[in-house]
Amino acid sequence: MAGIDLKNVTKIYGNAVVAVDDVSLEIKDGEFMIFLGPSGCGKSTTLRMIGGLESISKGDLLIDGRRMNDVDPAQRDIAIVFQNYALYPHMTVAGNLGFGLKLRGVDRGEIDRRIRAISEMLDIGPLLERKPAQLSGGQRQRVALGRALVREPKAFLLDEPLSNLDAKLRAAMRTELIKLHQKVGTTIIHVTHDQIEAMTMGQRICIMKDGRIVQVGAPLDVYRNPVNTFVAGFLASPPMNLVPGRLDGQIGLDAVTGLAALPIPEALRPGYASHAEKSVTVGLRPEDFHLLPLAGRSAPVSVTAVAIELLGPEVILVAELGGTGGPEIQARMPRDFLARPGETLTLHYDLTQIHLFDPATGNVLVRPRIA
Amino acid sequence: MIGIGGIGNANAADRRDARFGYALSAPALTMLFLVILFPVVSALYTSLHEYTLIAPNYDTFSGFENFMLALGDQEFRHSAWLTAKFVVGVVLLEFVIGFAVALMLNKVERFKPVYYAILLCPLLMNPVIVGLIWRMFLHPNLGIVNYLLSTVGFGPVNWLGDTKIAIWTIILVDIWHQVSFMIVLLLAGLASLPKEPYEAARVDGANSFQCFIHITLPMMRTVIVVTLLIRLIFAVKTYDLIYIMTRGGPGISTDLLSYFIYRTAFVSLNIGEASAMSIILLAAILALTVYLYRYMRAIR
Repeated sequence: MAGIDLKNVTKIYGNAVVAVDDVSLEIKDGEFMIFLGPSGCGKSTTLRMIGGLESISKGDLLIDGRRMNDVDPAQRDIAIVFQNYALYPHMTVAGNLGFGLKLRGVDRGEIDRRIRAISEMLDIGPLLERKPAQLSGGQRQRVALGRALVREPKAFLLDEPLSNLDAKLRAAMRTELIKLHQKVGTTIIHVTHDQIEAMTMGQRICIMKDGRIVQVGAPLDVYRNPVNTFVAGFLASPPMNLVPGRLDGQIGLDAVTGLAALPIPEALRPGYASHAEKSVTVGLRPEDFHLLPLAGRSAPVSVTAVAIELLGPEVILVAELGGTGGPEIQARMPRDFLARPGETLTLHYDLTQIHLFDPATGNVLVRPRIA
Repeated sequence: MIGIGGIGNANAADRRDARFGYALSAPALTMLFLVILFPVVSALYTSLHEYTLIAPNYDTFSGFENFMLALGDQEFRHSAWLTAKFVVGVVLLEFVIGFAVALMLNKVERFKPVYYAILLCPLLMNPVIVGLIWRMFLHPNLGIVNYLLSTVGFGPVNWLGDTKIAIWTIILVDIWHQVSFMIVLLLAGLASLPKEPYEAARVDGANSFQCFIHITLPMMRTVIVVTLLIRLIFAVKTYDLIYIMTRGGPGISTDLLSYFIYRTAFVSLNIGEASAMSIILLAAILALTVYLYRYMRAIR
């Protein structure tokens, strides 16, 4: 097992394209870390630099305290599972699993023993003599995992390994990976752009944008306390509603339409005092809209229904805040909720769950953290 | 009812597509029949008759006599053996050189089109021109090759006049002419290989040589087999170089099968026996093609 430490790591392609910009991050020994972000945010490049498949332009990479910038990928004792699995197409499953061990000079008996153990663990025993072309997507994915596991490396780097699977298999493999981490306890860095994977699998999430780290923290902490509008809008589905607003003199919130007034709870006011009478971006989570008032901590909000999405376990209400012409929001409603387009409704927003952001920078306005 | 109607419509559409397909391919198929299948059938028919240019008729049916004569002919056997050695020599050497150059070019980032253009120059030349140029270059007294060798202290070499050297000279000229074909095909194959298995192999601990042996070669197997097969068929047919450079000589030291068949047909005027030899050669190439095709399918 290994702790991985990135110190001011930068990756520049050619002379101008900065793919990763001054990234510093400490990944603890045995931690399950998620790199999350949209396409092109630098998460895969960071992973590939850790794996040794990309050179590091500036900064240092330490694995177990040892500088690894110029160390060959094989010497880093790290296994990578690629997005498209990168299995050797001409080798059987057994050949794929044993190739790395063979190159390392492990004796035949030991290779066979480890292949047997891993194939039992991943339930790919009957596939050992097949070639990758004869496997389904899920089976290939398990073989790719097996190839990484069989080497018993210090850390696993997973580069969007679930993205090619269908929704059902992806959900099953999420659970498998979590169980696997609990079993082997090895450091795992998992790259994904899927926020459900990020929320459900990792012990910590590192959210990236434009080559930089935006926020690092436990999934729930990042979800409850986004540092800026990017994180707020990226995490969860549907994401946080971001609507323009204004803080009035009594530290209450008045949406620009003047129709949705949300008083700020006493406990949150100290952080916001300096922004009184200024424009803000208001963050409202879809699940914090309620049909009935919450005792002492909600305020009524008038909305006009635009559409409803029936998801089965719940209903997503798309509505205009404050009435027709107001900013569009999404609210998570109970499964039996119904509303006609154009119908005016009164919802109740949980005032303890208001997030305010600076409209100029997008950064969150300081307030007590939500635990 | 809907299902039956649907199937019926689909079949009608399939038939229409098939008719359109046949109509499109008919001109090409007709041409192929006229220029390939007809001559083959004609040669087969001629090989079963005593057909000479002195008595050009099909009056005497001789069965397999021409085949027996050909197979019993020591010169034919010599030419067949010489052709086998020539083919193995040129194809193997061209493959080794071609693969090495293709591997190097595959790593090149800059000026790739320039290298391509230079490499393709010999391939674009007519074999007759190649033969004429090299005959001049290799002239024992006036050729530039012997002149250059003399500047580093080597005596003149009789490239095309020595029975031991002539076949190697033909092999070297053929390599100069055809190696770029090998390079271009192998380079196309290398360029199309996915890079992920190489990255996986690097992480698994493979060095460059191990990557070549365990990743490149197995993944290139199909391309290699096809390239070897095409080059092999062309090498068996080598005629122009021999005609221009040595006329099969000195003696019969470069008398490759294609040239020997030409001599049998148009010098000895024995079209029937020459046809039988052509059919034997065709059968040998076909057998080899079928074997390589099956091998290729088996490794997929």
